[in-house]
Amino acid sequence: MLDLLPKHIFLSDPLSLFFLFVIFIVSLPSAIYSFGYLKGEYPLKKIILSWFLLAIFILSMAAVVTAGNVLVFLVAWEMMSLASYFLVVFDTTHERSIKAGTIYVVMTQIGAAFLIAAFMIMYSYARSFDLFALKNACLAMPAQTKNIIFVSLLIGFGTKAGIVPLHIWLPYAHPQAPSHISSIMSGVMIKTAIYGIIRFVMFILGVSAAWWGVLVLILAVISCLVGVIYALMEHDIKKLLAYHSVENIGIILLGVGLAMFFTSQGLPYLAVFSLMAGLYHLVNHAIFKGLLFLCAGSVYKATGTRDIEKLGGLIKTMPYTAAYFLLGAMAISALPPLNGFVSEWLTLQAFFLGALNVIGGTKLFLGFCAVMLALTSGLAAACFVKAFGITFLAGPRSHYAKEAKEVSLSMKAGMFFLSLLTIVFGLAATMIIRYLTRAAGSAMDIDISHMQFSLNNITLNPQAGKSIYLSPPLLALVLLVLGITGLVIFCAWRRKRSVRHNTWDCGYYRLDARNEYTATAFSKPFRIAFSFFLLPYRKTQKIRESFYHVRSFTYETHTIQVFKKYLYDPVLVLVFRSAKSMRRLQPGSIHLYLMYIFITIILLIVFMRWF
Amino acid sequence: MQGIILFTVLASTYLMVIAKRMPALIRGFRFQSFCLFALTLIMAFSEHRLDLYIIAVLLFVLKVSLIPHFLYRTIRRIRANENLGLFINPQLSLIWAMAFTYLSWIFAARLAVFGQAILIGVMAIAFFIILAGMFLMMSRMSALAQIIGLLVMENGLFMLASTVSGGMPFFVEIAIFFDVFMSVLIMGIFVFRINKLFTHIDVNKLSRLKG
Repeated sequence: MLDLLPKHIFLSDPLSLFFLFVIFIVSLPSAIYSFGYLKGEYPLKKIILSWFLLAIFILSMAAVVTAGNVLVFLVAWEMMSLASYFLVVFDTTHERSIKAGTIYVVMTQIGAAFLIAAFMIMYSYARSFDLFALKNACLAMPAQTKNIIFVSLLIGFGTKAGIVPLHIWLPYAHPQAPSHISSIMSGVMIKTAIYGIIRFVMFILGVSAAWWGVLVLILAVISCLVGVIYALMEHDIKKLLAYHSVENIGIILLGVGLAMFFTSQGLPYLAVFSLMAGLYHLVNHAIFKGLLFLCAGSVYKATGTRDIEKLGGLIKTMPYTAAYFLLGAMAISALPPLNGFVSEWLTLQAFFLGALNVIGGTKLFLGFCAVMLALTSGLAAACFVKAFGITFLAGPRSHYAKEAKEVSLSMKAGMFFLSLLTIVFGLAATMIIRYLTRAAGSAMDIDISHMQFSLNNITLNPQAGKSIYLSPPLLALVLLVLGITGLVIFCAWRRKRSVRHNTWDCGYYRLDARNEYTATAFSKPFRIAFSFFLLPYRKTQKIRESFYHVRSFTYETHTIQVFKKYLYDPVLVLVFRSAKSMRRLQPGSIHLYLMYIFITIILLIVFMRWF
Repeated sequence: MQGIILFTVLASTYLMVIAKRMPALIRGFRFQSFCLFALTLIMAFSEHRLDLYIIAVLLFVLKVSLIPHFLYRTIRRIRANENLGLFINPQLSLIWAMAFTYLSWIFAARLAVFGQAILIGVMAIAFFIILAGMFLMMSRMSALAQIIGLLVMENGLFMLASTVSGGMPFFVEIAIFFDVFMSVLIMGIFVFRINKLFTHIDVNKLSRLKG
């Protein structure tokens, strides 16, 4: 019997409220930012259109995370996809936007198809679209069916979240949208997929096998590494940030996957703890990735290019943007006392606690994952040294960077709000995890009232009695004191007579922008270290006048996108080839089309007996 | 009486299937429509229903006089080649048409297992007319044949509805009549424009227009 008037159209449990909060804290500053960003960039009509699309986009995301009914969820999901598609192709003048939009819409629809399949299987058991009815029906489902639903859900939501190897659309679509949209897409939209995984896999389906968690963990580790390695190779600042979204989705999924694994092992305390870590990183990533995209947008607005090889020296002309970007970069690189540090630390703790509590090879596996997480944050830090250093330090590398001016007040306000949050979410960690554990507990239907996450006011102690302490405010204090001491010592002992040179001049003169360190050069060690995966190749071309005199020398280096070349390209070729052969059915003759219909009718009449 | 008229409808359809030139096709259509008109009139007379009288009058006005007149005028105005352009020649068409008649008879017999013989016959003929209309659209090159094929299909549908289920609701019937009339007007204008643009109305040559 079809449930036409569902009981719960919208939900308001802690998990949904948490996601609503995340949507709110990123959308608000982005919207404020867009006042200044859109002005002068587009004609008035397009600005109005962008506001309209933005409103639909935000509302549909809010509907996705609060939907209490699968049909409502799907409609909101598609609305979100479509609104974001139109925002991706908002710059209709660029050929690249159209291409990015097409890749995005194709991938997202493939994902939606998997979701619909999973929901239909669930529906066939529950006979209702209500979430709670589905939850009840899933209790009595055979394990094989559950596995199929889980895999479909993982593919469907994974496409949206950008899990490797389904991340292919992300580095195209996110950078191509206007920057405040990139910040919302990267900060919030891909998180709705995490919401979907938590809500539908953990809450409704219920984790029934240990390999689910292990699969998610493996995918998460791969996403982390692949995302950060590609980000290291990237010189387009927004694309770089988009690849970091892949990486951070991986880190969030590490928490989620751990929670799934612990649930299947019957360790509810650890499950709540790791899901809490995942959720914490989720809100942190929303904050600092939103901030970084807004900063990247400011740089783009001020200089008109996104290629960091052409930037440089912006810290002098755009000091505010530089400071905000630095804060965001420190947060994403997990430097204390900012928010990224706390959540990555919590995730690492979850791994260590897990390794202590399980036996056999799993111990090793969890340890391995923890090592990979540590490697990822190290590489991320390296990447942001590159991004910040090349973009904001040294001297300008082109006229784009030379003519940059600081951006308008509304843009600064948006960035300021988010950079404030990176500090607040780092220092107020003890309070925040209290709320997050509640959300995590409700997401997994685990009663957390008897659990102690041992939070006194200043010390955050996830593992009671094992003496691991973390206090972000204390750390901040230590860093502040050390920093001030260092500054005082520096001021007291520095050379009194100052010599002025150009930046990076090394005492020489007449060094110009071409002598500066480049992003390509910076990332070369990583290109060599990960050459087994990146498959780099280079092209050099010398034009000589004689053996001794080289007139010009060009050097290019590229990396091969493994997933695109060996996974997507063959599929695309196949699709196009079959489409071409299908086209022969359609030669443009009306008579032939009529004949198709006619033959169909005749066949239906003749074979009616069998129908 | 009804039997004779039904047989005439069948014969007129065969006439259209073997027609080689446009005027013959239009004449066949007019004849078929007239038979339908007679059929409806007899039914109205025997059942004393006012709505059937009105439908019969409309049939006469639209399908027997106005539409054929309009089609004649169109082919006179475009002065196109009067040949229909046959993919399947008349003899073969006739054989096909007979096969279709048999097929639709089997189909009707299977559908109405416990019906009277006359009902099965009417249904078979109606199905056959629909198939023949489709066949005309498919196997004739000229755009005019497509229009008439559509009209023939509509005739078949009308016959099926009016004999098997005692007619569609009155207003639906009226609406369909006006629909058909309007569509013929529009398609006639299209044919005229196609002729003006390409100096022919051979649909077969329009295949280059595909995307």
